[in-house]
Amino acid sequence: MSYQRVQSYSSRRQQNWSRNQNTVAYVSAIKLGPVTHTVLIAFMVTILGLIYLTQATRATGYDYEAQKIDNQISQLNTEKSDLEIENARLTALETVKHSSVVATMSKPASTQYANQ
Amino acid sequence: MKLELQKGSRSKILAAMVLGIMAVFVVRLFYLQIIQHGYYVNIAKSEHQRRLDIPAKRGLIYALDGQTPVPLVMNQQIYTVFADPSITTDDGKIIEVIKKVAGGNARDNLESLLNKKESRYQILATKITRTQADMIKKESLSGIGFQEESQRVYPEGSLAAQTLGFVNADGIGQYGIESKLNDELIGTDGMLQSVTDVNDIPLTIGSDNIDIAPVNGKNVVLTIDRNVQSHVEQALADGLKRTGATRGSAIVMDPQTGKIMAMANLPSYNPAKLNQVKNVAVFNNGVVSAPYEPGSDVKTLTMATGIDKGVVSAGDTYNNTDYIQVDDRTITNATLGHTGKITFQYALNWSLNTGFVTVAQRLGDGKEITLGARNTMYDYFYNRFKLGQLTGIEVSGEATGTVIPPNSPDGNAVRYSNMAFGQGLDVTMVQVASAFCSIANGGRYYQPTVLAGEIDAAGNYVENKISTPSNPISKSTADQVREMAHTARNTFFTSVDKPGYYVGGKTGTSQVVKNGVYASDETVATYLGFGGSANTSRYVIMVQVSGDHKELQGARDALPIFTDISNWMLDYLKIQPKG
Repeated sequence: MSYQRVQSYSSRRQQNWSRNQNTVAYVSAIKLGPVTHTVLIAFMVTILGLIYLTQATRATGYDYEAQKIDNQISQLNTEKSDLEIENARLTALETVKHSSVVATMSKPASTQYANQ
Repeated sequence: MKLELQKGSRSKILAAMVLGIMAVFVVRLFYLQIIQHGYYVNIAKSEHQRRLDIPAKRGLIYALDGQTPVPLVMNQQIYTVFADPSITTDDGKIIEVIKKVAGGNARDNLESLLNKKESRYQILATKITRTQADMIKKESLSGIGFQEESQRVYPEGSLAAQTLGFVNADGIGQYGIESKLNDELIGTDGMLQSVTDVNDIPLTIGSDNIDIAPVNGKNVVLTIDRNVQSHVEQALADGLKRTGATRGSAIVMDPQTGKIMAMANLPSYNPAKLNQVKNVAVFNNGVVSAPYEPGSDVKTLTMATGIDKGVVSAGDTYNNTDYIQVDDRTITNATLGHTGKITFQYALNWSLNTGFVTVAQRLGDGKEITLGARNTMYDYFYNRFKLGQLTGIEVSGEATGTVIPPNSPDGNAVRYSNMAFGQGLDVTMVQVASAFCSIANGGRYYQPTVLAGEIDAAGNYVENKISTPSNPISKSTADQVREMAHTARNTFFTSVDKPGYYVGGKTGTSQVVKNGVYASDETVATYLGFGGSANTSRYVIMVQVSGDHKELQGARDALPIFTDISNWMLDYLKIQPKG
């Protein structure tokens, strides 16, 4: 016995279908065989894989950017530390004592104090 | 025709073998994938995951310039340049560049180092700066690499070296603040665990990445004022040159807070040039780590004990015969001839030992240094003035010293008669100076400290609170002894101080114990004093000079150093003279 769907209305009573179920079925005219199904699934898996790879690559790209910025921050911090050290050396007592400014200074002959 | 496997046929045997082999595979795969799962996961992780330590920055150490913190110890990134001789190609250019850029930091034998082609690692230069490293990197030399590390730098050179200490090759603080506060200065390293690429660049992929930021060490601010410290070191160096002494120490304290403004020892060293140090004894901070018999400086404390107990006053008299008998020992004055009825002020002026043995006797029954007298002296010296015990100052290597209690077999009357004029007890300079501060400030004892505060994460200077003082003696007692010390100084040294200020002090010349006996050819000279206005002492200075086989005297050798520092301090602190 063979069964064939047709695009035609059939009474649900005639079909003995359960209540509240679709009573119209649209059947595609295109027929897909098992090989086509397999190819389609493989294709979808490939697409999903590519999407994953794209996202992963993009995230890794951000990692490289972040690393680059971290390196810049580190380098700038090192430069800042070096400048602070240089500043400390230039303002150190020994440097100040031997500076040309100090060489021109003289001791005051007398000191006056304002009354408090 | 129906095909059936016959019993015992070859096909059955083959089927059984295939089944058996499959079973072996299943068991093996079960073992590898289920039982050994963790093991292989770890191997896989070790291949593509890296765990990097992020070093914490060691805390900086600041001194004060007036009220402003200035760096004394900082961190600098430095680089070691190394070569892989097996892959270097242009050795001539490498040598030329390294010598030109690294200068004195380059190894002498660069050519022979690069010729060791079987080696993969040869150090070509050490301790080069970031700028120098960048210059070498620009040359794109093949086979050359850099190792980054951090080192301590000292913008002020050797200033306060023994107070600071240094950091060894393992990054651990040695001596001074660096050792005592190592746990606070060192910080806590951070950690980064992440999947990395072939260049070890961390990637965010992976489910068990860890990123823990390092906690940098605390940036501490010392109470040391760099200007005071510098002048004290210079005055001490001048003093040693003048007197011929080979060792000197000095401490300057604020008696109103217990803060140490300067602490100097000579000979000293430069912490940036540790490899040039020939005698490790220079690492010690003698002010806190070298107990000695302080000598006549302690007479001020004996007098304070007597006055506080109400048994003597400055104007009270005793009969001086230049000698005094204590049990089987005869104690003699260093200066003879001031015999007869004299005041205790006079005894302090001339530093007569008999006067202070008399004070000790009066703490008892007036004739003997009884157990009660000894208990009283011990209570004042040890419990109240805190001699012979750790002060808690924040530098490593503090020595306890020794004050022998009266219940000890050695704590007899002879011992305590000696202690009355500063012999027979071992104390450190910081103990004596801290005790003397309570005379200079009206009777309050502050724990000495070198920590003024810290620089917080926002870069602000946060000052520590001043410790709560104890009250070893009454204000009246402190004021009387302060006046006595002022009188003692002005009896002989009237013109050395700037006019209009209130300066006082006491000389000390103490014998040195060598091989268990007092040496006849060596003494330690000290001077302990204060300065400021008549109402308020602004500083306490203690100076000590000594040398092997040197007979030095407090008045001749230590006092001029005190005077130099004191007169400078009056200007530096902008104290207005009276009149």
